[in-house]
Amino acid sequence: MDMRFTPEERAFRDDVRAFLQSELSPELAGKVRLHQPLTKAEMEGWHTKLNARGWLAGNWPTEFGGAGWTAIQRHIFEEESARAHAPRIVPFGIAMLGPVLQRFGSKAQQDRWLPRILNGDDWWCQGYSEPGAGSDLAGLRCRAERQGDHYVVNGQKTWTTLGQYANMIFCLVRTSTEGKKQEGISFLLIDMETPGVTVRPIVLLDGSAEVNEVFFDEVKVPAENLVGEENKGWTYAKYLLTHERTNIAGVGFATAALDNLRRVAGAQIHRGRPLSQDPLFASQIAEVEIELMAMSTTNLRMLSAAAQGQAPGIESSMLKIKGTQIRQRLDALTRRAYGGWAMALPSDGGNEGQPLGAEEALAASATWLNNRKLSIYGGSNEIQRGIIAGALARG
Amino acid sequence: MDFSLSDEHRMLQDSLRGILNRHSGDDALAPLLEAGVIEALLTEGEGGFDGSGAAVALVFEELGRAGAALPLIGTMIGRAALAQAGMPEDAARAAFADAEPGTRADRGVAIRADADRLTGRKTMVAGAEDATHLIVTTADGLWLVAARAEGLAVTAFPMMDGQRGADLEFAETPAHRLGSLTDFGAVLSRAALAHAARTLGEIEAAVDLTLDYLRTRKQFGRALFDFQALAHRAAELTVEREQARSAVVNLAAHLDAEPHLRDRHVQACKVTVGRVARLVAEEAVQLHGGIGMTEEYALSGMIRRLIAGDTAMGDADYHLERFANGEGAWA
Repeated sequence: MDMRFTPEERAFRDDVRAFLQSELSPELAGKVRLHQPLTKAEMEGWHTKLNARGWLAGNWPTEFGGAGWTAIQRHIFEEESARAHAPRIVPFGIAMLGPVLQRFGSKAQQDRWLPRILNGDDWWCQGYSEPGAGSDLAGLRCRAERQGDHYVVNGQKTWTTLGQYANMIFCLVRTSTEGKKQEGISFLLIDMETPGVTVRPIVLLDGSAEVNEVFFDEVKVPAENLVGEENKGWTYAKYLLTHERTNIAGVGFATAALDNLRRVAGAQIHRGRPLSQDPLFASQIAEVEIELMAMSTTNLRMLSAAAQGQAPGIESSMLKIKGTQIRQRLDALTRRAYGGWAMALPSDGGNEGQPLGAEEALAASATWLNNRKLSIYGGSNEIQRGIIAGALARG
Repeated sequence: MDFSLSDEHRMLQDSLRGILNRHSGDDALAPLLEAGVIEALLTEGEGGFDGSGAAVALVFEELGRAGAALPLIGTMIGRAALAQAGMPEDAARAAFADAEPGTRADRGVAIRADADRLTGRKTMVAGAEDATHLIVTTADGLWLVAARAEGLAVTAFPMMDGQRGADLEFAETPAHRLGSLTDFGAVLSRAALAHAARTLGEIEAAVDLTLDYLRTRKQFGRALFDFQALAHRAAELTVEREQARSAVVNLAAHLDAEPHLRDRHVQACKVTVGRVARLVAEEAVQLHGGIGMTEEYALSGMIRRLIAGDTAMGDADYHLERFANGEGAWA
């Protein structure tokens, strides 16, 4: 047993730190730290810097222009990036679509779409969930009908994150109603500038509008935009879920949140001394820190097992549950540490007026509200428990 | 980064499993000692051949999984402490006297040292009846007492975890001060790891037994695993089991780290494993239902060992408070 990084991994970590030191501006890091919404240009700018260094697609093999990192390298990159408050890489093209195209796409699709993901020509979003198909995703009804060399798409997608910036969307669509519902789903790439596509923002609890509804009304999609085989889309979607989840534990995000909580609790006054010295509050911080220490190692153990070729199974479900529990507890403690300021309404406009000097407290409240999503998206924690239990029941 | 067992440790594991499969209860002690189990827990300088965190964790996890509550920790502490103190004595069988009546986990409440004499009480001393040496904690020291010392009364009784324990009553009993608790922080941390790893093995055994029961027991014409209310609780147990395993791995990997970092991991390990052990004990009984209440069923001993494991050397709350305050584990 050896929990140390290898000399090569330590050297890589130093490279990542040096890169973040030189390329990440304090202004941008400050916005990320306060969970303020980034502009499209800010996100694209960060992608451009990473791509110039060859680090935008750490998870892609080098033959497709990726960095070909090991799972441990990806973990190091993600953890260092989160601790430095770097913007997260927008996952839809890099982490989600890219690996699916590499595994199941045609040569023509790979040649056409993969370089455009890297150089930022396309901004992808994800069309999975529907109003009637949330946790029960296979119940989706958005329909694609083959007519000659086109599909005609009708229906609705929802919870489409950053869809307002996207020009392309990868969708799970229904191409058959025969047999099991999982067997009539296809994976289709749709140009959002096609007539009949409408994007409407959904305002969330925290006032942000990062997610959208996307409507399809008689949208014509070239048949060449079908990935893999018709009615095999569920397989591709599942591949995406089990193979691209190294960061599902969110260790870096949790570590950054813990650092922030400690700072806030050290500055807030309780009974004449820092809140961080209050036995009750200090023990709550300690509990979540201890959980994080264990979870971080759980994450490394599972990455290490995956690196040695063990098939991914229920580990990502375990990490998702524990990781989101930890982050939500950190968010809750941070919000409450602000005391009265936690009563202020976070607002992205700022036109209505705000309490004086409460910028960070407002961010903490907004983060608490926004991060309720953690235990819902990507398969709710109850779905994850169901996946774990299903595997356990089989023995 | 490598979490797999070395070849030597895999062989040690195989040998332990073989013995624990063939012998149950106290009958396993002699063959384990013969196979060198104590020496695996000690460094070469202490007269052993390993003594690494990985070896200690492996040995006690196997013992815990097999439900073998054997008084090995006392002898491990005794031999390591005497070696560190440079004493030529051989603590063939030592017992570790730590818990005191009248306090949750403080030391020196019921016992005090006066020059080279101890007066007061210790309780829950595993293996005291058969010990040749006693290693005794006070508020600020670690002491060696001969098992047959004058002014020492031993009253034995069965303990929750299946071991024989004893009350020790000291009346100006001659004792030799080995040093402060922090002087022996590394030895005490190794003992805390041993307790935690044994509890981890018991957690695994109890979770496995519970999952098996959920697969096979039928009610309303369906396996219990088909009931979501039960299935989700079972899933949660496996998530927490992984947390406990990681906490043990962390402490095992930091047993030789500088004292502050090592102690943080001692505390985190005791907090995590203690919390998960109590959770598993409670949930295992509930998920089983009535059968989980019976003495005859295999779960009964596990439940008792699980809750005893949290208490040894300070429970989760004790260590959580010290972690939160940034205090050492043994100061």
